[in-house]
Amino acid sequence: MATMTPSYLASLTRLRSSIFQTAYNPSSIRTGAKYLRRRLRGPSMIKYYPMRLTILEMMKGVSTKTGKENGVVKYNAAGEEEDMRVWDENELQRLRDVEDRKMRGKGAPKKARSKGEGRRASRKR
Amino acid sequence: MANNIRVLRDIKARNGVFANEIARRAYLYVARDQRLPPQVRHQAQLQLNTFGRYTRPTTVKNRCSASGKGRGIIAEFGLCRYQFRLKARMNQIVGVQKASW
Repeated sequence: MATMTPSYLASLTRLRSSIFQTAYNPSSIRTGAKYLRRRLRGPSMIKYYPMRLTILEMMKGVSTKTGKENGVVKYNAAGEEEDMRVWDENELQRLRDVEDRKMRGKGAPKKARSKGEGRRASRKR
Repeated sequence: MANNIRVLRDIKARNGVFANEIARRAYLYVARDQRLPPQVRHQAQLQLNTFGRYTRPTTVKNRCSASGKGRGIIAEFGLCRYQFRLKARMNQIVGVQKASW
């Protein structure tokens, strides 16, 4: 049987990598090639959740009173521009509730301007 | 879709990954390539560390697209097991029907 010298084996590996178009890397050095070869995952990641229109996005279209600036105008029977704003009913109710609480004296406490002014500082030890 | 905070955070992470993926890949390649000088690799690693947490693909988690639940997700439909059952029984999932024999 013919002796397989290391140089002979190395040349065999080099030949094999050239035939099969693989990188010749006899010492198995990490080349980072896998980070370049791997497919990009971002494009499929952003498609996971179905598109949903939120009130905030809808208001971008008709945010001003008539929507004229965005090229969206609706006229009523008298030929006047109509109010096309979209309201977030939950947010309006929240603001109404906050106003109610304020009138009953149950609003948020005043913010302390300086360190000594705080409620905690004026409390007796 | 349940727009709870966890779903919103997940959407944020997905957008962040999409926007920064190529730059991160390039730095990853430089940092991991053993043929490059150590200083260069170290600099690349430092650059990698400056990316925010919502740019890493591991931050992204598949959540239920109907209820926002994070566990018991059937990957093929992107739904949690309960929403999957509900929708399947309402014939809202094509090609799925209740087993009976």
